[in-house]
Amino acid sequence: MKAVRTKPRPKRTPPKVPANWNPNIVVFACNWCSYAGADTAGVSRIQHQPHFRMIRVMCSGRIQPGFVLRAFERGADGVLVSGCHFGDCHYISGNERAVEQFEKTKNVVTLLGLEEARIRLEWISAAEGARFAQVINEFTDQVRKLGPSPLAGNGRAKE
Amino acid sequence: MDAGRHPLIDVVSNAEVIGCEGRPGDFRVRIRKKPRYVREDKCVACGLCVDACPQVGGNEFDVGLKARKAIYRPFPQSVPATYVIDSDACLNLLGFLSEKQRLRLAKVQKIKQRKREDYQPNLLVCGHCSKACEVDAIDFDMRAEEMEVDVGAVLVAVGFMEFDARKLGNYGYGRFPNVVTSLELERMLNASGVTQGHVVRPSDMKTPKRMVFIQCVGARGEGGRPYCSRFCCMNAVKDSMLVRQHDPEVEDVTILYTDLRAFGKGFDDFVQRSRDEKSATYVRGRPAKVDHVAEDDSLEIFVEDTLGHSQERIPADLVVLSVAAAPNEGAMKVADILGIETDVYGFIARRDPAVSAVETTREGIYVAGSAVGPQVIPDCVAQASAAAARAALYLTGYRVEEEQKTVDPMDLSGPPRVGVMVCHCGVNIAGTLDVEQLASHAAKIPDVVAAETNLFACSSAGQDRLVELIKEHNINRVVIAACTPRTHEPIFQETCARIGFNPYLLEMVNIRDQCSWVHAGQTVEAQEKAKALIRMGVAKARHLHPLQAGEVPMARAALVIGGGIGGIQAATDLAAQGFPVTLVEKTDRLGGRLAKPNLKSLYPNMRPAAEVLREKVDRLKSTDARILLNTEVEEISGFVGNFEVTTSGATQETFPVGAIVLATGAELHKPRGEYGYGTLPNVLTSEELEHAFFEEEEAVPGDSEDATSRASGVGGNKRRSGERSDGKAASPFESVGSASFILCVGSRDPECFSGCSRYCCPTAIKQAILLAKRGIDTTIFYRDIRTISSGAEEMYREARGLGVLFIRIPPGEKVEVIGEKRAEGVRCFDDLLGRRVEVPTDLVVLSVGMRPRQPETDRFHDMLKASIGLDGFFLERHPELAPIETAVEGVLLAGTIQGPKDIVDTVAQASAAAAKASVFLAYDKVKLDPVTAVVDALKCRGCGTCVDICPYHAGELVESGPGVYVAEINASLCKGCGTCGSWCPSGAITCRHFTDRQVHAMIDAFFGEEVTT
Ligand code: FES
Repeated sequence: MKAVRTKPRPKRTPPKVPANWNPNIVVFACNWCSYAGADTAGVSRIQHQPHFRMIRVMCSGRIQPGFVLRAFERGADGVLVSGCHFGDCHYISGNERAVEQFEKTKNVVTLLGLEEARIRLEWISAAEGARFAQVINEFTDQVRKLGPSPLAGNGRAKE
Repeated sequence: MDAGRHPLIDVVSNAEVIGCEGRPGDFRVRIRKKPRYVREDKCVACGLCVDACPQVGGNEFDVGLKARKAIYRPFPQSVPATYVIDSDACLNLLGFLSEKQRLRLAKVQKIKQRKREDYQPNLLVCGHCSKACEVDAIDFDMRAEEMEVDVGAVLVAVGFMEFDARKLGNYGYGRFPNVVTSLELERMLNASGVTQGHVVRPSDMKTPKRMVFIQCVGARGEGGRPYCSRFCCMNAVKDSMLVRQHDPEVEDVTILYTDLRAFGKGFDDFVQRSRDEKSATYVRGRPAKVDHVAEDDSLEIFVEDTLGHSQERIPADLVVLSVAAAPNEGAMKVADILGIETDVYGFIARRDPAVSAVETTREGIYVAGSAVGPQVIPDCVAQASAAAARAALYLTGYRVEEEQKTVDPMDLSGPPRVGVMVCHCGVNIAGTLDVEQLASHAAKIPDVVAAETNLFACSSAGQDRLVELIKEHNINRVVIAACTPRTHEPIFQETCARIGFNPYLLEMVNIRDQCSWVHAGQTVEAQEKAKALIRMGVAKARHLHPLQAGEVPMARAALVIGGGIGGIQAATDLAAQGFPVTLVEKTDRLGGRLAKPNLKSLYPNMRPAAEVLREKVDRLKSTDARILLNTEVEEISGFVGNFEVTTSGATQETFPVGAIVLATGAELHKPRGEYGYGTLPNVLTSEELEHAFFEEEEAVPGDSEDATSRASGVGGNKRRSGERSDGKAASPFESVGSASFILCVGSRDPECFSGCSRYCCPTAIKQAILLAKRGIDTTIFYRDIRTISSGAEEMYREARGLGVLFIRIPPGEKVEVIGEKRAEGVRCFDDLLGRRVEVPTDLVVLSVGMRPRQPETDRFHDMLKASIGLDGFFLERHPELAPIETAVEGVLLAGTIQGPKDIVDTVAQASAAAAKASVFLAYDKVKLDPVTAVVDALKCRGCGTCVDICPYHAGELVESGPGVYVAEINASLCKGCGTCGSWCPSGAITCRHFTDRQVHAMIDAFFGEEVTT
């Protein structure tokens, strides 16, 4: 427990999740499917957890490792990358590229000592408002179980 | 609101048409403009006059729930925004009235004003408003003006009126305070409305605990109106959900319905959700009466639950009457003046209700929306576009090229000065979030020089305020915290562009669709989220760059794919406007589902399909449209204005087009053995029954003694012994004594298609009538009868009159067809009788639903990248605002490719698609989106990654010096996805509008840090 407070962080002890703690989650979404899916959730008033912030890009292909890493560096507890289903990308194959980028990103993220479960890739179409809500709820719960990211709070201090 | 701003649209409000002479293409319309006593050219809509006015009148917009002054603005988003004086209420104007008028007025006021019992004419001049007005806009001497305009075509869109529920005494509307109409509830649910979005009981302004909706008030047989109002079912379902979300105090909502007519795209799923979430209890039954409990003004409803088979008394605190749509009072008068006919109810009559939704009985005069009978919004929008397309045929000489109004670009250089506007969106945002606090939070963010809220930022007034805000504070970056940029960014961008403010210096923050709407129960977190989103928006705005749109020439020709009724109509409308059109049909004939033997006659007027089709095809052939039969579209590449189409088959060529109309239609469900289809010979689909009608026509009605031929029957023995001794086929119905229809086969079935196919109820009823008239005992097994198209409800009554039996089957229950070799009977649970029934039958007809046509749907989806919905049909860009367009610009949908619909709706949508296509083709240039990727030649190492990666082949390596290669990206091919930017190893590619720096700034701002770089 005490070790948790020291600056250079050793191997993590089983996470101590503070009571009533809510994670900070960054969601990257492509304009045409996932962002639209989130809008669909809105139009149909499908309620979901509010602890994420959306960053819209035109296509999931735009989401480069640097974005995800920056988010973790600044203190995100989880990052969700989302785009159109395969074959549905508005730009034909941007999402296929996104997968490759995501794999790279995941490697770096684990190298940094973060749990793999803090990062997730999902395909959500414009019509799938309910699925969007479900993915958000699941991912939020998943990250909540992991507790605060070890980088949160001191990520900036390292700079 | 767009209309109010459009340079080519003149809005003449407070006016009526008093004459119309001439002929199509050359009408002279006389208009009488009533005095509004406020000068439109001077009024600034400040509202000072309203504060000054001492006189109160009834407020029509808030349906009498709230009072208004004698000088007023009809409703907050009205166009023009100019105020108007109610001559019936104004003290000053009373002086001008004659004694007779005054008496009439007194009478009117007694009804209109509940608050003011006594009417005392005040002949003294009041004039408070004109004293208060700072711009001298009030003009009591204004008189009615007459004006004349020359037009090519007239479009009637007078809409409908609410049925007056007072006429139905048993519901107590008007007598009991807590019985309200759906429209009154709607006003309560509106943020800017009477109660700021909360439901209250009018008697004590308390939140009702128990609410009851009564459907079909004044519709479907009540109050002399046989037709269905179409929108009320979904409206009640939506309102019940809204009420439950906004007011948790409302414990219990009951909806009393007859049939749940959730016929639109996705409607059935919506109802299912409401049932799953238990937001309302559904009881099938029409209440006999509503009783008033005097002590607490509550109510009691007597109803027979026709499914539970019990008499019930349902207590309620508030009763909402879903009132029917009645014809607009003025419709008759307008019809008279325009020389067009009305139908028996007083709606505007259509020339042919089976085919055209927009043609009136007089050429050159068109109609759209609920003026012809109740409509839902998507259909209204489609019809309006369709009517515009027809009207445009008479305006060809007047087509306007884009007026290039060049505004001088504003100087927006210098350090960022951000202006933030937070929208209430009525109750939509402000009901959940504290918008004032959001604005004050925004005001504290560095570089923000102004932050304020607006009731409706997208309204004309909101836009005007935005312009002022920009000018007042020398703002050079704008952040709008409102709804989704996907629908509204263009509106704000356009406003910015109008004043020379570069539209790319605007950032939208989505605090409605993705915040207030989805976190309604968690106001604290939602507020935090909204704040963070605004911070992120401001952070991005700081780093925005002005961008300039480019232009490329437009190929002014259109391609229509599919030669069914939709394709024919779209091609005709486009060709008649003078655009070169190519119609591609893969079979050897035009007509699709209308062609013989698919369909014999059309409901509701039994017009022969062949006749309609001939008319349409002749019309098409009279134009210059090019028709390619036996031809398929092989490939399409390019983008709006510059598609390149390659065809194969009979005609093989490649040609450019500017816009594409997809009209390949839908397929009918093929039963896979269910109900004995395929094994029992006398089980047919509805389409096969149409074939039988053709066979019957070809057969001679006989007195044949030949037993074998008499035994012939539809499906059954026909193929074995269908030939008579004289060589003619026997009538297929000769030996059929009874027939059963099974509805919703392959529709409203989560395993096939969960939606409603719309056309099957009226079609089955049409067929049942035809059989009943042949003396065949006909039974229809249904789940809900959804006779929503015009004339269909009347057909339903006719069928019942002819003795057609309707048996309602409960959801989930499957009808069983019994018989070994042939179907002998149909067995199922009768929901209304509450027991199993068995009906002997000689013939079973399966009313099959529609499904997406394959492989066309998938092929065009792949080719064009237009999205497909969960139901497999093409997805429209917006169900209400853009039901014709796909997400891909220049690609439009006509007919059942977008979802099941009948012929009238298909034809209307096809015309609408033509209208939308002509909007593109009217210009000779396409604007190019400047949101593209650009290469910094200095940083580029010429690795070629971007060239390999781009799916559009926009990148190219060019030799910039001997042996030195750099990448270049072609702006007209680049679509701006940004994938290359994410892959460039040297960071040489900037993805405009989504730059690394902008995204990083947003991430930083999420965690509360201000970017200093
Ligand atoms: S546009 Fe959605 S992933 Fe490419």
